[in-house]
Amino acid sequence: MLEPLTTSLEKVFGFNTFRSGQAAALTALEAGQDTLAVLPTGAGKTLIYQLYGYRHPGCVLIISPLLSLMNDQVNRMHMAGFRRAAAINSLTSYSERQEILRHLGDYQFLFMSPEMLAQPQMLAQIKQLQLGLLVIDEAHCIVQWGPDFRPEYLLLGAIRSQLQQPLTLMLTATAGQTTRQEIAKQLRSQPQIVAESVDRPNIFLDVEHVENEPEKQERLTQLVGQMQGPGVVYFSSKQQATDTALSLQQQTGARVAAYHAGLSSEDRFKIQQQFMADQLDVICATSAFGMGIDKNDVRYVIHYHLPADFESYAQEIGRAGRDGQQSIAILLYASGDEQLPLMLGQANRPEAETIHRYYARPQAFSEEDAAIALLAFYRRHGISEAAVIQLFSRRERERNRALAQMLAYVREPHCLRHNWLQAFDEQSPEHQADCCAPAGMSPDLAQLGLLAKAKTAPVDSVDDWRARLHRLF
Amino acid sequence: MEAADLLALLDQQQFRRLRVIENLLRERKTVSTLYWGQRYHLLYLVGLAKKLPRGALDAPARELQQRGFITVGETPDQIRLSPAGQAAQAQTRYYQPQTQATWSQLDLMAARQRILLAVQVVSQYAHSTKRYYPLTTDLETRQAVRRWFYQVKSARLSEQTFVSLQKSLEQLPEATASVVTALFTGYQQPGLTAEQLAREQQRTPWEITLMQLDGVMQIAGDAQAEDQPLTRLLRSVWRSPVTRSAQQTLAAMGQGRSLEQIAAARRIKPSTAREHLLEAAILLPRDQFPYDWILTPTMRQEFANVLTGPIDDWQYTAMPQALQDRYAFFYFRLYAIWCDKRGVEDA
Ligand SMILES: [Zn+2]
Repeated sequence: MLEPLTTSLEKVFGFNTFRSGQAAALTALEAGQDTLAVLPTGAGKTLIYQLYGYRHPGCVLIISPLLSLMNDQVNRMHMAGFRRAAAINSLTSYSERQEILRHLGDYQFLFMSPEMLAQPQMLAQIKQLQLGLLVIDEAHCIVQWGPDFRPEYLLLGAIRSQLQQPLTLMLTATAGQTTRQEIAKQLRSQPQIVAESVDRPNIFLDVEHVENEPEKQERLTQLVGQMQGPGVVYFSSKQQATDTALSLQQQTGARVAAYHAGLSSEDRFKIQQQFMADQLDVICATSAFGMGIDKNDVRYVIHYHLPADFESYAQEIGRAGRDGQQSIAILLYASGDEQLPLMLGQANRPEAETIHRYYARPQAFSEEDAAIALLAFYRRHGISEAAVIQLFSRRERERNRALAQMLAYVREPHCLRHNWLQAFDEQSPEHQADCCAPAGMSPDLAQLGLLAKAKTAPVDSVDDWRARLHRLF
Repeated sequence: MEAADLLALLDQQQFRRLRVIENLLRERKTVSTLYWGQRYHLLYLVGLAKKLPRGALDAPARELQQRGFITVGETPDQIRLSPAGQAAQAQTRYYQPQTQATWSQLDLMAARQRILLAVQVVSQYAHSTKRYYPLTTDLETRQAVRRWFYQVKSARLSEQTFVSLQKSLEQLPEATASVVTALFTGYQQPGLTAEQLAREQQRTPWEITLMQLDGVMQIAGDAQAEDQPLTRLLRSVWRSPVTRSAQQTLAAMGQGRSLEQIAAARRIKPSTAREHLLEAAILLPRDQFPYDWILTPTMRQEFANVLTGPIDDWQYTAMPQALQDRYAFFYFRLYAIWCDKRGVEDA
């Protein structure tokens, strides 16, 4: 007989009570039910599979799409006291991979990228394991269509069948009804759904229209100069994140750093830790930033570029105000901004004509082209030409719908929260002054208590090295 | 690497090939790359940027050319400083590594990783922190540091580590000691990134890396010279600059056999054996290579008669045909290496 869930919670984490959604998800899993948990960022989704792994024999296999952050996840497991955790993905060196494979049966938690799991040899090894739980992290990636789109996610349903339909936990921060249905369909599962509202009443929503790029820069500088940090500014490009970090630091005197997947793991580590230790006021980030950041007091999230869909937008603004204090999410928009996500989406989308020609003579094409590589991937997995054409046109429709939804938000004249929650099939509370400021209205930052209180200390500087060394030890 | 970093690697007399510099950094150790690396006095760059993409120096070179700092030689790949470039180089106080003469004896990158993680582990241990995010490193480093930590763990570990690190850093310029310390991660000190330090010190990130490597070399050298906590951790990252197979060929040479005999015994092609020997000759000090067995006095005299002027201008195909027939390119190249190592002035 298993001990009560709360007893395990107390033993492993030292908490008395679950956060909402955690207990429901665990109860469903322990009843043998596949579960789709739609819980906001910061709700403690990781704890669900950690505790499940603690209470049940077998390996917990976590499929995660974010390569560069998988090691962070393993570190977090170690931090939480789960030592038998490892990650395998394309960034894992050959010798390290061999080492992990030799001891595969010893791990309690294995993190793996979908493309790694899709490899037949790897799948054969995994079939040998006693799988306690399969976790699909960031499950909304199955339906998302953007530059980060991972075709391997589409194979997860078939892989799951090959693994004899293990008990499965699907995790995502945001998913409306359509997305939920699509996830269940792709994974060939009828999960029990555990969902919490995506609404974050303490995040004030703001959309601001600007004329053009220079004006946007200027407005950003002004906001960063005025507002109380810490804050995060999201960009769609690494280069722009890097350049803007530098100019913001020079113009506002705030302590700013860029964070993106192009940095070395050492630099990513240092910048994350500096931000956590309040040695940075602002992070200029790409979507690579977020996971692994347990910072509760982020006061603002600004989007410099239009996100491709509401799911990513909700995830990213969800990093503000986890402490429940007043925070703000600002979206800066200049007309034509929708071109960027459109372009990024189209970058690796082949035309129907190309698909036809490729299927007729695949050997005539070079897989160095991203779009061809995608086609080759489908073809190798036995997906027919007709099915691929249909897949792409459906994706395109979905993508356009998602972008149209973002644009409707940007142009919403009355209540942004209403617009936003509607996208997730949720009811919204009555609009009030502290709810939102659609385009054309300005937020009263002073009233919201979001203006900077005091000038921050200068960047951690290289003082006397002997003293610094002494502090370390 | 930026234009300023490339500028520091160029000379006003000698044309230097961009591809050689790139291949040194990327650790593409062909005999030709090593030979020219030696001629440029840039062998310390070997393997310092293994992930540098091919052609990564082209953009910095273009920038230097646009600013009129370089002139191009017979092929566009060969460049040297223009008078303006020379003035610019003299004006900048570009960082000169202090310990680079011994860099080839250490796997610097592995030593760097080990030291960084060890400092973090000891620092957190000193403050009794049980749970923290460790630096992300490769498995080998993690295992080495973990094994080491359990061996040396003691009440005095942090004090001893502090004392020996301070002693090592004091051997270096103050600015270098500051940079090395600021890059460390530990208890309540995330550490600065090279980028952040570069901005603060008004240097390039590459210079910051060179400063850090100076620190790594100093720390490793001191740990080798006398017993201290880091000694055990760093023992296995020392190495010969010469590859294992070249070492074996050289050892076989020591048993007094001819090149052909060695090649047959080692089941390698004679050309491979010659490459091994040239590699060893370039990378080892002069007294560790048996020049006398290979370059006979007659041979040296015959070469000396025709090879005059700057070594870089010597050309095998420009020698009299009779001499070319008698001596293969191997002997010509080895003679040049021997002259270079003797410090024969490029007249
Ligand atoms: Zn509202």
